[in-house]
Amino acid sequence: MKTLSLSALLLCVMCVLVMMNLSFGAVSLTFNDLLSGFQPTSEFYFTIHEYRLPRTLLAMLVGGMMALSGTLVQGVIRNPLASPDVLGVSHGAGLAAVLLMTLYPDVSVYWLPWTALCGGLLAALVLWLLCGSHSSAIKLAITGIALATLYGSLVDFLMLTRPLEINNALLWLTGSLWGRGWDQVTMILPWLILVPVAFWLAKRINLVQLGDDVATSLGVSIPVTRLAVLAIAVGMTAACVSICGPIGFLGLVAPHLARRLVGGRHQILLPCAILVGMTLLLLADLVARTIDPPIELPAGIMTAILGAPYFLWLLFRTK
Amino acid sequence: MKSFLQKLPFLGQCIALSFLLCVFAWLSLFTWSIIPISGTQALSALTSPNPNNIAHRIILDLRLPRVLIAGTVGACLAVAGAIMQGLTRNPLASPSVLGVNAGAALGMATVSTVAPWLGVFGTSVAAIIGGAITWSLVMILGTAWRGGNEHGRLVLAGVAISALCAALTKAMIMLYEDQAVGVMTWLAGSVADARWSDWQPLWPMALFGLSAAFLVGPTLNLLNLGEDSARSLGVKLGLVRMICSVLVLILVGAALSAAGAIAFVGLLVPHIARALTGQDYRKILPLTAIMGATLVVLADVVSRAIIFPMETPAGAIIALIGAPFFIYMVRSKTS
Amino acid sequence: MKRLLSLAVTALTLCLCSLAHAVTVEDSKGRFSLDYTPKRIVVLEFSFADALAAVGVSPIGIADDKDPQRVLKQVRDIIGDFQSVGTRSQPSLEVIASLKPDLIIADIGRHEGVYDDLKKIAPTLILPSRRETYEDNLKAAATIGKVIGKDQEMQARLAKHKTLMQGYAKQLPNNAEVQFTVARKDDLFIHTADSYAGGVIHALGLKNPELNRSDKQASRQIGLEQLLAIDPDYLVVGEYVTPNIINKWQNEPLWSVLQVARNHRVYRVDGNVWARCRGIMAAESMAEDLVKVFN
Repeated sequence: MKTLSLSALLLCVMCVLVMMNLSFGAVSLTFNDLLSGFQPTSEFYFTIHEYRLPRTLLAMLVGGMMALSGTLVQGVIRNPLASPDVLGVSHGAGLAAVLLMTLYPDVSVYWLPWTALCGGLLAALVLWLLCGSHSSAIKLAITGIALATLYGSLVDFLMLTRPLEINNALLWLTGSLWGRGWDQVTMILPWLILVPVAFWLAKRINLVQLGDDVATSLGVSIPVTRLAVLAIAVGMTAACVSICGPIGFLGLVAPHLARRLVGGRHQILLPCAILVGMTLLLLADLVARTIDPPIELPAGIMTAILGAPYFLWLLFRTK
Repeated sequence: MKSFLQKLPFLGQCIALSFLLCVFAWLSLFTWSIIPISGTQALSALTSPNPNNIAHRIILDLRLPRVLIAGTVGACLAVAGAIMQGLTRNPLASPSVLGVNAGAALGMATVSTVAPWLGVFGTSVAAIIGGAITWSLVMILGTAWRGGNEHGRLVLAGVAISALCAALTKAMIMLYEDQAVGVMTWLAGSVADARWSDWQPLWPMALFGLSAAFLVGPTLNLLNLGEDSARSLGVKLGLVRMICSVLVLILVGAALSAAGAIAFVGLLVPHIARALTGQDYRKILPLTAIMGATLVVLADVVSRAIIFPMETPAGAIIALIGAPFFIYMVRSKTS
Repeated sequence: MKRLLSLAVTALTLCLCSLAHAVTVEDSKGRFSLDYTPKRIVVLEFSFADALAAVGVSPIGIADDKDPQRVLKQVRDIIGDFQSVGTRSQPSLEVIASLKPDLIIADIGRHEGVYDDLKKIAPTLILPSRRETYEDNLKAAATIGKVIGKDQEMQARLAKHKTLMQGYAKQLPNNAEVQFTVARKDDLFIHTADSYAGGVIHALGLKNPELNRSDKQASRQIGLEQLLAIDPDYLVVGEYVTPNIINKWQNEPLWSVLQVARNHRVYRVDGNVWARCRGIMAAESMAEDLVKVFN
């Protein structure tokens, strides 16, 4: 019952945020303007239908998917500090994107998401090759961090030897929803197919959480489950990062918040985490757009500023 | 080379490595200069300087302080890394992994972009304060003192805090585009603009930090036996941790303010020293200092050679060597 | 019948008029056509504002990084008030849409990613601006002149620009070696012959120092040692902040080894004008700066 009312409350908060995202920005609109914005004849058609609507949808999709993959990673690595970032996927995608931007500056930017996607997936492959499926969870996480550090230093090296590209690259590397439209929404939609798969795996994740021995005695193969769950998380993270750049802390903080709200059963936790992730990214993007218009801050910075203090408090508490 | 060094007695190792350091330092004085300088000129500039000779001027005014600062910074960072590893009994501990560099960068970026009025103390003080804050946070939150099996937690805490600092730093750089390149170069760590004026504040801090570090060597040995054994041998744990933390901050702070955030020296070098001489911190610390200096001086030479006649930051070169080593370390040291 | 005829004549004239205004030019994305004279123009780089101002047209919105001072003073004097549409790297599309422009001029280097969105707001002319050379800039200005229906004025202005620049060139020593650098707080960047400033220096009959470089980068960070190796006859320093690295270097003994230090030929100019504002008037302003410092 408590869970149900909480979910309803979350949904309400999210709906309010969606409305606010549509009506506020560099130009504030009234409710009537907002409704008329869906008609192609309206003067607000571009602002609402072509700009704010896809951006809001994208914030929901990306926020939900990042939060979901964070919950999955924390579920199978069994470490509250883990997040999709520790798999090195975002850094790998970042390296691929920066490589494209610096080595081939004349290539059209439309290739950027695809390159980043390949980079992210490649990074996950490298991690898997290094660790195999039998490494301990914590070793996997630390190897991922080490790989991420390597990608990070390569990115720095490239950006320092080609100083003119710094700001362009930084814009992408911080994670932003600026200038993303319907094209990006359609690019990310196919990945939604992973969401039901994740829900289907929820029960197994619960068993993994009980510990290796219990899980094995109940007939669940830990390495196989872990591999499957991580593969889903990698796919979704890579898709999100390739569209928006790495949105920091979302995959780390949203699962914790969700767990506090509804507890640790993944059948309920996963949908709840998705709602929390959507709400957080909507809020972050709203703040980023309205704090000092017409200047737009990257949403990734806002999620870090919103998420990091909560994360620090969490770390302190779980001592 | 390694096995040859391993067979030498400790003093022999020191002498051999110091000789190597001197050779690299000498190379650093004259190689890859746009104005041709010969090796003999490099020596004669030191013994009988001639102020009208342009080669001598370059060596004495630019190259010599650069070599000295590179070496000192390397020694400081490496020794700080060794102390951190001894203190936390965590082979992955080092200033960059535990977020000290990122915190220092945030401090420096804050001063140079958002709050120039804080700059009365200079950017280096801001960097040291930023580093100190992140270091304490990571130590407290990562429950560093437990050592042993908590390697992962400490590193994850460091990574999370680094990520936070990096996000904030990037935000500032982006909003104040003008300063972007300066902060980026500083973040990578470079001794290209090192001068005698940077040497003045560096050497007393480094001298004090390094000599104090050699004094705590025996205590670190006791700590390595485990907390209970150390306590029963009369080690005041709280006091030792306090002193070591302050030492680390002095060493890292001195290095950061002179050369920027050079990463991985503190991680890499102590492990090589350990491979050469074993687990005795009385021997590890001096060897670490010499090899740290050698590494940064060598990286500085390479940084000038790689896209001659322009330069890359030395820190970027070390990171390219250091990051794969970090991966190797992780794979062999965590179970 | 008479009324019908006059109506037909009016319709025909209108048709002819609009035909007369219809232009097709080549921009960075291929062909760009416009069949009216744009009145509400939004520009997303300073060089485009410069081109408009050169023929007396005022844009209604400029991506000025929320700091109107960054637009060249001469340009500001001509165009009067305008609205900021955010930063050049991330202009606010909402604000652009709310201005209801009938032409947007964007930079291929910075705005290619949002080109499709911009086109939904208004016809978008996309041209090189960032990292363009002096010649590219003049070509872009000519294209803009055609699109805004001021082709003749723009050609006249460009011809006047050429004469003006030649006039300035006569007041400057021939073939003197001038190195333009941008000084920040702790870093110095040289702008090479491939940069915009390098192109202006060349157009004024001056010379960019030969650099021993393998890559064609327009700007590079350098240290005092590399500056010693370049050792130019004249050093023009575009300052973003004061005090900057040049002030620091001037206190060092090695600084006096430089030719420019011995002959007192270090000239300080506005970094914003020299490194950020490209365009016809910016180039003239740069030339004036040079004439001032050389005489």
